[in-house]
Amino acid sequence: MRMNTAGTGADGSDPDRLMGAEQISAWLRAGRLAARYPEVPGLLADLDATALARAGRLLARLDPDEVARHHPGIPSVTVAITGHGTLAPLVPALTAELARHGLLLRPFSGDFDGYVFDLSDPGSALYAVDPDIALCVLDPAVVFDEVAVPWRPEDVERVLAGKLRLIEWLAERFAAVARGTLVLNTLPLPSLLTSQLTDHRSRARLGAAWREAGAALLRLSAAQESLVTLDLDALVAEGVPATDSRMDLYARMHLSAGLLGRYAREIGHLARDLTGRTKKCLVVDLDGTLWGGVLGDDGREGIEVGESHRGEAFRAFQRTVKQIGSQGVLLAAVSKNDPEPVREVLREHPGMVLREDDFVRVVANWRPKHDNLAELADDLNIGVDSLVFADDSAFERGLVRRELPGVAVVALDGEPALHAERLLADGWFDSRDLTADDRARAARYREELARRDFLDTFDSLEGYLAELDVRVRLEPVTEAQVPRVSQLTLRTNQFNLTTRRLQPADVRALAADPDASVLAIHSADRFGDNGLVGAVFLRRDGAVLHIDNFLLSCRVFSRGIEQACLTAVLRHGAATGAKAVLAPYRPTARNGKVRDFYPRHGFSRVGGGSGDAEETGGTEAAEFRHDLRSIAAPPAHLRLIDGLGGETQ
Amino acid sequence: MTTIDDFITLVRDELGLEVTPADADRSLDEVAGWDSVHLLALAGALERATGRGLVLPDLLEARSLAGIYQVAVAT
Repeated sequence: MRMNTAGTGADGSDPDRLMGAEQISAWLRAGRLAARYPEVPGLLADLDATALARAGRLLARLDPDEVARHHPGIPSVTVAITGHGTLAPLVPALTAELARHGLLLRPFSGDFDGYVFDLSDPGSALYAVDPDIALCVLDPAVVFDEVAVPWRPEDVERVLAGKLRLIEWLAERFAAVARGTLVLNTLPLPSLLTSQLTDHRSRARLGAAWREAGAALLRLSAAQESLVTLDLDALVAEGVPATDSRMDLYARMHLSAGLLGRYAREIGHLARDLTGRTKKCLVVDLDGTLWGGVLGDDGREGIEVGESHRGEAFRAFQRTVKQIGSQGVLLAAVSKNDPEPVREVLREHPGMVLREDDFVRVVANWRPKHDNLAELADDLNIGVDSLVFADDSAFERGLVRRELPGVAVVALDGEPALHAERLLADGWFDSRDLTADDRARAARYREELARRDFLDTFDSLEGYLAELDVRVRLEPVTEAQVPRVSQLTLRTNQFNLTTRRLQPADVRALAADPDASVLAIHSADRFGDNGLVGAVFLRRDGAVLHIDNFLLSCRVFSRGIEQACLTAVLRHGAATGAKAVLAPYRPTARNGKVRDFYPRHGFSRVGGGSGDAEETGGTEAAEFRHDLRSIAAPPAHLRLIDGLGGETQ
Repeated sequence: MTTIDDFITLVRDELGLEVTPADADRSLDEVAGWDSVHLLALAGALERATGRGLVLPDLLEARSLAGIYQVAVAT
């Protein structure tokens, strides 16, 4: 992927040197776009709204099946679109936004103004496609199409109340019928409508009723966990026109193409979260990013942070970074500097908002940043594709992009006042829900680094583990733990035997199923409580116990926790009269390290695919069987609290 | 955009449709890959390319690519 060449023509004569939409156009014409799909995210990364819309129209020409044939590993997301007005720009916009995140859109568009039918009839075509995400796009005309002229605020209030009841009912229907996530939105209120009331008192009443309806829509998502309500007011406040009068009247497109494009970007973030691609760590540069100037040249007193116009802008950015870090996002700094002056600034500079303790790691050295980033990801036991890297240097960004294409790169420049909006523009860390575990995450990673230092004082891993005092508790999931277990299925990529993503409602359904059980793994050690770190999904089918999935947070690999839990499951199977335990492994690009998990623990291979994602490029599962004749003891260095209900031998 | 050939190029670039000048007078229903939603996307692209507003109702009533071109270049 070559992105940094400027001034090339659009004639397709040298297609390897084109940028953005031009390159996509060239590949489309040459019939190579499906084959080159994995390179598309890099081409789309920096496009503005107009160029992205165009790229989306070109990408929408592709048949998703053809892309999937070329690249079976690319996750596809089925998005159903329904609503009141014309939503034509949404399919191309969503195509581009999902492609930016390495996802493949499988769109379904309902009939014009078909949302009531689409969502109320369980036999509708919308439900038939089994959407991962269903968009019910609401616009001001939902209300005003039913307000007769002349009107007063009370007429609008009446229609709003009726629509709210209808939408609430539709959302309940959706939750009852579908497994996916339903997205609603608040309705923008253009001045074109308020200004038709000539007195301020009436305008205020209309505005209040309108916002109360918006608030009610937003509150619906508190009551229904499979529902997300997007606040379009926040998007419109960025300066995106809410409506386009000509399109509104002539094409019945009641939201502007710009707003639909911006809306699609939010859906891209949601799709990223639902497919387990939420970023986990924000890595910031220091000079020019967290403070102005160059520490090595200007010295501690010379850098700009606090107490000047630019210094205040850097402080504001630091506050934003700290806020992000308070919600489960790991913060790290990677800077070309000597370590000692950096440490002094982080400890002592009066203008700093961020301090050493806010970071899980501060890397100050002169090595290439991509090497530091790769090592950081390795130390934190996360993939480089879980990193977001923000830097004001185009050189550093370009190098990281080229060497580590999986890293999301945020382009900052010499204007610190714009740093925060650039960081936030792509919702890299957006998730549907935040759990208590998220808020404690940074502290847990810091404990983990302390563990590593502790490990360095031992000659052998056994000695270390014996001193680590690991305690593991395995027990059926409780209602309060359902969101965290769902989140683990969404976020865990490495130790995830089948990578089956589950929404909270799916977890709840399994927990309630008499033939299934969902077990939560908790662990703790001398450095602290690790929290809920894993889950095992069991299903009983006569004399066979199935392990439908087994997953463990990457924070706690390789301490015997997985062996202990597997032993507990096998013992539970034997104690309850099972004759065998069957367990699949479904390969993905990320879970190769657990390919041998079952065979290493007494299971033998009974069939299925090769279990090798790289060989086949496919996702065919391998199946393993344990006959329960000889069950290995749990590792001696840990204490297992087996909560499988007194059935353990 | 000054000629119908420029316009055809714009349609190809913006929409990814493999159209040629030979498609200009065909009914839009007969243009391979044509979809009514393309008209809305073209409206924006044409306004950017010509730097002036189009008469949207005329555009929406156009029945061929040549008809769209005529609306775009009409003053």
